[in-house]
Amino acid sequence: MIVPMAKVQIIGHLRCLDETLQQLYQLRLVHIIEHGPQAGAALRTATLGAERLKEQETLRYLRARLEAVLQLLPPRAGPAQPAEPPTVFSAEEIEALRAEIETITPRLEALVQQMDALRQEQATLPRYAQSIQRLLPLVPTLAQPQRFETVALLLNRRHARVLELLSEDLTALMGQRFVITSAPVDGDTLGAVLVFPRRYSAQVHALLGRERVSEVRLPPSLADMPLSRALATIEQRLHQIPAELAAAEAELDALTAPHRERWAAASRYIADRLNQLNAVRLLGATEHTFVLVGWVPRQEVPRLQALLAERVGPAVVCHELPLSEEDRSQAPVLLQNPPPARPYEFLVRLLSLPRYGTIDPTLLMSLFLPLFFGITLGDVAYGLALIGIALLLRRRLGGSSATWRDLSHVLLMGGAWSVVFGFVYGELLGNLGHQLGMHPLWLNREEALQPLLLFSVAIGVGHVTLGLLLGVWVAWRERHRHALLEKVGLLVALMGLFLMAAQVIGRLPRGFFTPGLAALVVGLVLLIRSMGALGLLMAPLEVLSTVGNMLSYLRIAAIGLSSVYLARVANEMVGALGPLWLGVLVAVFFHALNVALGAFSPTIHSLRLHYVEFFGKFYQEGGRPYEPFGAASP
Amino acid sequence: MELGLLALGAGLAVGLTAIGTGYAQARIGSAGIGAIAEKPEVAGRVILLVAIPETMIILGFAVAAMIILLLGGG
Repeated sequence: MIVPMAKVQIIGHLRCLDETLQQLYQLRLVHIIEHGPQAGAALRTATLGAERLKEQETLRYLRARLEAVLQLLPPRAGPAQPAEPPTVFSAEEIEALRAEIETITPRLEALVQQMDALRQEQATLPRYAQSIQRLLPLVPTLAQPQRFETVALLLNRRHARVLELLSEDLTALMGQRFVITSAPVDGDTLGAVLVFPRRYSAQVHALLGRERVSEVRLPPSLADMPLSRALATIEQRLHQIPAELAAAEAELDALTAPHRERWAAASRYIADRLNQLNAVRLLGATEHTFVLVGWVPRQEVPRLQALLAERVGPAVVCHELPLSEEDRSQAPVLLQNPPPARPYEFLVRLLSLPRYGTIDPTLLMSLFLPLFFGITLGDVAYGLALIGIALLLRRRLGGSSATWRDLSHVLLMGGAWSVVFGFVYGELLGNLGHQLGMHPLWLNREEALQPLLLFSVAIGVGHVTLGLLLGVWVAWRERHRHALLEKVGLLVALMGLFLMAAQVIGRLPRGFFTPGLAALVVGLVLLIRSMGALGLLMAPLEVLSTVGNMLSYLRIAAIGLSSVYLARVANEMVGALGPLWLGVLVAVFFHALNVALGAFSPTIHSLRLHYVEFFGKFYQEGGRPYEPFGAASP
Repeated sequence: MELGLLALGAGLAVGLTAIGTGYAQARIGSAGIGAIAEKPEVAGRVILLVAIPETMIILGFAVAAMIILLLGGG
């Protein structure tokens, strides 16, 4: 159901504003609405005074700094501080916090940067070491190493010819004053080392760049060393890094540990306080008072009044305002249903919230949706499989996601009804039940096609008629004369049409045709009256489309039958495919496919029957969600 | 022969409406997915819109069932 709302006005002295906002924020009960300008009243829109503006500015700055600092910190490994951090911060504490953050941040940033650099070094150095180890055997021992430069290259073995071309170019550049040696270093890679006089350095590097031969580049700190020394340096460095990293981490922890909990608490406090300050512009004010108007669930009004009186005192009063028609149309919507129906609220919200004062269809949906699911699928084994899947989903994903929990509940109920209707149709893995001697409690779907179709149309007639009756009730409550005439006219016309049809096919004794025709005419006249000039054309179409809506429930039979036939095909595979094991394997595959389709298809079609055929008759969407003023997660 | 024609008629009633439904759902579905990518909150309405053309095949099924049950002698 849609929770009845009350519009309340809270008036108080301006000096109680902060305390009132803080209490309301904690209570999370009032959906504050903007205080529009009121003709004739001395009220203006409330503004933040100079003092609060300054506070807002400080808090915004501090929030940004705190968020940046908290993001820098690695996740905490040790246990949290035993002492409870404060939840409210005074102006002095905020100032102290600001100073503290500004003092600590530079050192903190330096430490984090240092740790990042160390980790990067730790990740990249082993790769250099690996390349050098492969190339080292190729490097010739030189008499005067300072006069020569060594360049290492790694090539794909398929491009080995590049080395010959390179040799030709190098000979053209410096004659025979260079050495190039190469050897395979692993399956795909060819290592090459080029040694040449240092004075040709610029020309050689330019040549390599031009020919797009990539060199093994060492970090700047190792670039000028011979390869063997570079390797030793890398190994030494890799040995040192863990200790440096641990030291930096320890310093970071020592620096931040005493403040961490308090900073997180301050961040939460600042977010809350900023929300409270932002709410001020929604309020009205005079010179000495503030006026807050909002929506509260009606049953909570006494609690709100009592709590404000107790915590803020007599300088603030809260009273309920009388509701005008316009007010009612703007009230926010909060859905409240008994626990078994609650998972279906998600499916109603998927469409859109109902408008305040109309009908919340959640409860009806919780009854009909799983029932339609069960009537469609109707198989003991498939039902049990779906119950199993639903329970597994709930255990695996239900804890973390409300949507999965709701969906698994819907599937569970659908599975349970499928088991019930499995007994009604006598089905277990399709026709296997019949072969094993299971008897249908009511009808065998494969043989009794006509009763099955009639049954599903009868469900449609019942469901759509219920929708129309609810439409009549909503129109009556909303005092909407046209809608009332339309729904009543439609009901009367349909009744007439059914009387005539029943007479024609001989299900009713003679004498019902004329009253039926009269009812159809009266219904059509009412419909035309409600629609105006266009009604002459639209009224018969409306009756026909409603009949179409009722026939649409034939899908319950159609989808059910397709599932039965797929199961039958699966069962006939056993024995038809040569070896028994192959037949059983294919049969298991088909049954698994049928269960997967059985979880999906009846849900979508039951949903559609609700959204289009049922809701279309009474549901009025466009409700605004109830969003109480308070922290997002209480 | 007559039974064969009845079966053919019933098959056409389902098959042609299935093609119509499929065509309409393909058009609505692709537009709907585009809409959901922009505004995830319209998912419910898109399911509803995609489901609307299914009435065609359901009515095709009803016609096929009538051909078989009423004309084919059950």
